[in-house]
Order: sequence, then structure tokens, then C-alpha cells
Amino acid sequence: MAAEFTLTVNGVKHVVSAAPGTPLLFVLRNELKLTGPRLGCGLAQCGACSVLVDGKEVRACVAPVSAAVGKRVTTIEGLPDVWAAQRGLRAGEVALHPVQQAWIDEQVPQCGYCQSGMMIAAVQLLAKIPNPTVAQIKDAFTNTPPSPHLCRCGTYAAIIDAVQRAARMMTA
Amino acid sequence: MTTPGLTRRGFVKVGGALFVSLGIPSGFSASAAEIRTSLDPALLASWLEIRSDSTILMRTGRTETGTGMSGFYAQMIAEELCVRPEAIALILGDTDKTPDGGYSAGFLTGAENVRKVAAYTYQALLGLAAARLGVSVSDLAVSDGVVSGGGKSVSYGSLVRGQQLDLKIPVSGKAARVDASGSIVGLDGFTVTGEPPMKPMSQYKVIGTSYPMPGTPSKVTGKMQWSCDVALPGMLHARMVRPATLGSTLISVGELDKKRFPGAEVVKKGNLVAVVSPDEWEAVGAARMVAPGTKWTSWSGLPGSENLTKFLREYKWDAPASRGNEADVTAALASAPKTVSASYEQPYIRHAPIGPYVAVADVRSDGAVTVWTHSSNSQGLRAQVANTLSVPVEKVVIRWLEHAGQYGRATFGGDGAEGDAVILSQLTGKPVRVQWTLEEDMAWSSVSPGWVADMKAGLDASGRVTAVHSASYSPHMFDARLLGAILAGMPCSTSKPGGWVATVWPYDKIQNRLEQAYGMANIGAESATGGLRGNIMRTPGQRGQNFALEALMNEAAAAAGADPIQFRIDHTTDQRLIDVLNATAKAAGWEARPSPRLLKQTGTGPMTGRGVGIIVRSNGYWAGIAEVAVTPGTGAVQVTKFTIGLECGKIINPRQLDRCMKSGLVMGLSEALKEEVTFGAGKVTSTDWSRYKILTMEETPEIKVVQISRDDKGFGTGGEAANAVGPPAVAAAFFDATGVQPRRIPLTPAYVTTLLKG
Repeated sequence: MAAEFTLTVNGVKHVVSAAPGTPLLFVLRNELKLTGPRLGCGLAQCGACSVLVDGKEVRACVAPVSAAVGKRVTTIEGLPDVWAAQRGLRAGEVALHPVQQAWIDEQVPQCGYCQSGMMIAAVQLLAKIPNPTVAQIKDAFTNTPPSPHLCRCGTYAAIIDAVQRAARMMTA
Repeated sequence: MTTPGLTRRGFVKVGGALFVSLGIPSGFSASAAEIRTSLDPALLASWLEIRSDSTILMRTGRTETGTGMSGFYAQMIAEELCVRPEAIALILGDTDKTPDGGYSAGFLTGAENVRKVAAYTYQALLGLAAARLGVSVSDLAVSDGVVSGGGKSVSYGSLVRGQQLDLKIPVSGKAARVDASGSIVGLDGFTVTGEPPMKPMSQYKVIGTSYPMPGTPSKVTGKMQWSCDVALPGMLHARMVRPATLGSTLISVGELDKKRFPGAEVVKKGNLVAVVSPDEWEAVGAARMVAPGTKWTSWSGLPGSENLTKFLREYKWDAPASRGNEADVTAALASAPKTVSASYEQPYIRHAPIGPYVAVADVRSDGAVTVWTHSSNSQGLRAQVANTLSVPVEKVVIRWLEHAGQYGRATFGGDGAEGDAVILSQLTGKPVRVQWTLEEDMAWSSVSPGWVADMKAGLDASGRVTAVHSASYSPHMFDARLLGAILAGMPCSTSKPGGWVATVWPYDKIQNRLEQAYGMANIGAESATGGLRGNIMRTPGQRGQNFALEALMNEAAAAAGADPIQFRIDHTTDQRLIDVLNATAKAAGWEARPSPRLLKQTGTGPMTGRGVGIIVRSNGYWAGIAEVAVTPGTGAVQVTKFTIGLECGKIINPRQLDRCMKSGLVMGLSEALKEEVTFGAGKVTSTDWSRYKILTMEETPEIKVVQISRDDKGFGTGGEAANAVGPPAVAAAFFDATGVQPRRIPLTPAYVTTLLKG
């Protein structure tokens, strides 16, 4: 019953075998061993599993793998190459996306379980609004469908600091 | 967890068990085939290894909770050994590779262990260097792991090359085990004793600096291996089919269509039902198919969350745990010209991590057991697993990896998916990975019990409190059982329910006080699964009891017509508390005046106010000042600004403390405004994020942090109690804004609307 799907993930083409309807998250984690996105709620209610599909945030815990065929999927493992491409550099030439660097500099993670999804949301926000205000950051992380990005450790203040730091780095 | 990370390549199969071929101490390399399942805490080699490049490996059974333990440990070890913190690598939580065990929540005791081991080692290294360099110890100086004296120098690595430091570490305590009565004992683990010379705080170079948390880069790049990432050859994925209610027992298992799910199998033991498959998504689909057809007995033994207060009021309580002098308090209250009485309450809340429980277990036919986990007490879990499977603890190895925060729920080494995993692995003869769903976690993991409290204060003619009587009523919070073991009918640890006076009394000028805590078993304890299994949660016990005390103090201050901060200062001689109150008030721009605001609020716009709350815990003095806006029309309460102050002795890492204070406060504000576990007659109903609501980024206020560091009071705990300082301050600010005392949290729109209607 499994079918073959051709996916482009972090710039690399993969052919994977999966039952139709398998969520993208299970394919990324179990088949492609990309463990950056993690299972949180499985209901598109928290954002821990978020990845970018053609630059747009998608909750990989509910999106079927078929929905990603022919599109560019990016996990946090692929963020450095996204930034390299934006800077006209080759893949592998930068070690960290500015959002990742800002997450380190601002020491955002506590347990860190939700932070992969938080960084994905930050990359999407900064692509749309290069220098967001605190209100715009709060709005993006809370009111972008399908749900708020939740952090149980409560790192929201650190995330706001890090998004603004990343914005400065990316617009410098 | 080992610093180099867990990879498949890192596993070496030897003698029928799996182990990571890293970090076997030199004293234990007698035979590569020999499987070590524990280390002797009395040997230095069990704790610490100095490598030839002068880097240092420290092993401790305590684990990272997300608040930065691993960074703080590295700083403390580096300080005592006079090396850079970057030179410290840690192995955390693996029972076969760490000596001490113990609570990960107990930062102070865990830190003291590694600090003392480092201090003992430092003295031994000085002795070696003195002999090598031919100078006396007093003539030696150490910098960055290089010992100098008499014009010569030698690195630690050179000093120990080719030899082993034959040093005994004095310890007390026992490894955790389940005793004959079924109680789990030894959860504190081993304590390093004696008083080795320690570096004076005035000479600190590493402690007090913002050393970056070592785990952060791997967390943001996706390189970290989490407990949910463990994948073993031949491993089965499991999804659990849970009973229909907390008291249901199995009648029959639903049908599994093998044509649709050819790789899936149903596995059951007692009331433990699971579907396993080599493919995770197949296990998910097959479990979803089996669940609706699985028949369970009905049960309706819970009072329902709406009736919780009534239930607690009507319960026939046994004698309470008690602290204070009943006769003095009764007399003082009887003679007080004015008294203030109030009852407060809070529903059940839960830890609610973003990542549900997950565990992998490999139970071999020879009885060897390995469990990969994110439990917070590895030796405690080892004891529980050994008890459940009826094997000696020496047969069980716990491997720890990072995962979503536990916030206290795994402090006793129980509660999680490990029980399911070991039982399923035993039944299938294969390694099994059990991943709970969020709904399952929110329905079946342990909870922080709801409570009611009756508070009474007597005031003298000048408005000073002369006596306080507090009585809190709550189901207990010490149920550490593994759910899988309960459901399968296998041996479980037990704990005696009872009351627990958990406050640290901050107001020493109130000399007449009686604190009583009434306890009971879990609500629904007689059910097949033990009912609502109570467990400790961040700032346990004290969080609720301190809320009630602070709420009473705010009501008493209002009755006395006093400024709430000055009122607190007037009731303590503890200068540390006074200092943090004053510093926090200054940072918040606090204007001294009584609550509530006397300004008449007009129109339908938000009513604003400010309030204060404090807590003293683990050598830390906390003050919080909340500013709120209450919209009467909707009942919405927005915390617009919060100033949080802390003095916790010597601050180890100011930046990480700033992060912990802010994030812990967010958890507290979430509790103050939103959180409630709801349940009906049979089961928990708040089983996803739309029904168990927590604070969002938009609801997070501007947070201002005040830190006071001092060199004369040792170390305090700076992360934990940030959650407990939020709710009393928010409740006080609500009263200040509205003139109405809130006597229940959370301050949800529905409750606030009712309150303001009077």
C-alpha cells in the first residue's frame, strides 16, 4: 500500500516510500532522519513540528507527505543553506542562519523542545517583515493560523529579543 | 546523556546488552566484555576523569531540566579546579556511567556534590604537582589547568598521564530502591560529605559570569539527540489504547484488520493494551482502528471538576500535618480587635510539556534491561523498573537524554512511558519505543492537585498581624507510579498520602502561627488506575500554600489601610527579604499607598492596578510586582507589566538567571490567568491545547528583572520559584484595580465576570 514520493528537503532530492496520508513529520524524522522538527500535539495546535514548504510555515504533524511533493521543504537543519542562498553563497558555506545565531546569542532555549518550530516561524516572519516591532512579533507567533506557537518553559521574552537581533543581523 | 551525542555507530553490542562505548572510567576497564551497571560513588574515578589534554569529564546522575543545570555545574567544577568552563564535559543521568543518582530538581545538592568532588580533586592535584615540581603546595599557583611553582609548570594532563588518582570520595546515602513495603527510598541519591577547602567567593573568576549554556548550539541546529530520537535496530513503535475511563477494566480488544495493517500486532497484559509495528505511522493507524472497538467497563467515581471545592469541603479529613502553636494562635485570634478571614482555592493543574512522554526499552531474555528516557531521576526510575519487572536493580540500565521539560513530574523517576515500554519489550522480545499522544498525556499523566485553604489573621489596634492560622486541604502529590505497571497489574511503588506543610515562613514578626495541611489519597484512588494521580509540580506544595498566605497578607494590608509592600516589611526582620522588596519596588516605580486604588474608575475602559507577592524558597528571596488591566465587560485580565526581583546568594550566571526568571514567571502567569484541568465523572476532559489553555506570547507582559547577588549567603536556587511569585502578585493587582478580592485562580473571563457582578 505504500507509494513512492519524490521530495526536495533542504535542497536534496529524496525518493521515499510511505503510506499515503503519512504526515510529513513521520517521513522527515523516521525516513530522512531529520530530527529537528518534533512531535508535539499532533493536532496542529502547538507548532513544535513546523517546517517551511516553499517558504511558508506548515505543521508537519498533520500535513500529508503528498502535499510536499514538488515543493521545497526546509527544516532547521537546512536553514544555514537558505541563508547562504540569500547571500549568493554556496550550500555549506555558512554554518548558521542568523535566526539560529540569534537564538544562541540570546540564549533562547530552556528545554528547547518547541524551538525548532519557533525558529521556522521567525524565518517566515522576517521574510515578510524585515524589522518587526514587538507587537508584530507577538501577533505573528500568536495569531498566525492554525494556532499560537506554544512554549511551556515560557521563553517568549527571549524569542522576542532573538527575532529582533536576527532582524538586525539580516538587514545589516 | 553523553556530550558527544548518541549515534547508532556509538552502540556496541556486547554480551547481550547495549552500551555506549564512551566514558567508561579507567578504573573499570578490566574487561571490555564486562557490563558495568553502576559505579562506586566512593571512588574518584567514578566521578571525574582528567584527560591528557587537561580537559575534564565529570559524571553525575543529575540531569538537565532546561534551566541550565549543565552550565551551572560546569561553572562550579571549573571554578574549584581553576580551569575554563569550556574544559568541562559532563555525562548526565546514565545509571551505568554516573555514581550519585538523586533528584534533578535538587540543584543545590547536586551542585554541592560536583563542587566538592572538584575541590577534593584539586587538593590531590596540588599534592601531585608539589611532588613533581619539588616545591611546597603553598608555593603553587594554578591557572587554566596549569600548575606553576619554583619557576616550573606542569599541566593537569601531564600530571595525571599514566597514573590514576587513587582518591576516595567520602559519601553518604544509598542508591534508590523500592523497599519491602513498596516505598521508593533513596531518591536523594548519594551525598558527597566532608569539608574540602573551597575557593573563596571573592576569588571567583567563572561563577558570576554569563557562561553560555553548553547545549544551546545543538538545540538550535537540530544536532541534539533527544530521547524521542532513539532508534534501535529491530525496534517496534507502540501506540497505547487507554481505558475508557480512569476506572475502566478491559472487556475485549477491538479487531485489527491485518490486510490494512499487515505489520501491526495487538499486545496486551491486564488493562495495558497497545498496538506495535515496525512502522510508526502504521502503529498510529492500527491503534486508531483498534481503539473504538475495544470494550471497557464503565466507571464514574470522580466528583467532576465543577464540584471539586464541594468535594474537598465534604471530605472527612484525617488529622493534618501541623506546624506552629495551636493554643497561642487560638488565644491571639480570640483577643485580636480585628480579624481577617478568607478561603482560597485552585483547581487541578498540570505540567503539560510540549513534548508528550516517550521512552524506548530493550528487555532481554536474560533479564538485562536498558531504558532510554528523559526521566528526572534515573536511579529512581531504575528502582521502579526493577521492581515492576522483579529483577535486581543491577540488571537495569537507564540512559538519559534531553527532552521536553518535566517541571517536576518525573522527580521521583516515575509517571512516564517507561512502564509501558519495558512491559511491551518484555512481551514482544524486541526493543519497543512508546510515544504517548498529547491527548493521552493530558488524560493519563499525573497532575498537580487542586486545593482549598482557610486563612485567618488577627490584627492589633495598630494594624499589625499578631496571629495567622492557615489550613489547606488537598489530595497528595507523591504518586510516583508508572502507569504501565498499574495497568498491567505488575508491582508498583507506593507512597503514603498525607498533608505537607510546605511554606517557608517569611514573616518572623508574626510570632503566633499555626499552619495545617490536610492530605488525602488521590481522588478516585480506588479505581483500577489509581484515579487522578497527584504529583509534585514546580515549587510543589509551597506554590499553593504561599499563594494563600500572600493573599491573606494582601487582605490584611487592605484591612489595615497599609501599603502592601510596607506592610510586608513591617512583618519581617529578614533584611534579605526587605532588600529584595525595596529593590523590586524601586525598579517598578512603586508608589506607596494602600490597595485598592481610590480613584473612581469610570466608563467601560480597562481598570488598572498593581500588586505585590513574595516567596522565600531554597535560599532565594523573590518579590514580584504585577500591573494589570481588567476589562469589566469581557472579564479579560491582561498583565501589562511585571517586575520580578530575586536575591539568591551568589548568582552563578546572570544571563541564564535572567532567562529563567522571565520564563518561569510566564509559567506562573499562565497559572494565574488560564490553567485548569477539567474532568467529568470518569475521565479528564481538558486533553488538548484548546481545552487546557496556557499563556501565549501575545499575553506575555513586558518583564523587568532585578537581580541581587551577594557573597556571604552561599548559593540559592534561582530558577524554580519564579512561577510561584506571579499568581499572588496578579491577584493583588486585580484587587487593586477592582476593589474585589479574587479568592480563586485562574482569573478566567468567566470567573472575573461573575466576581465583578458581585
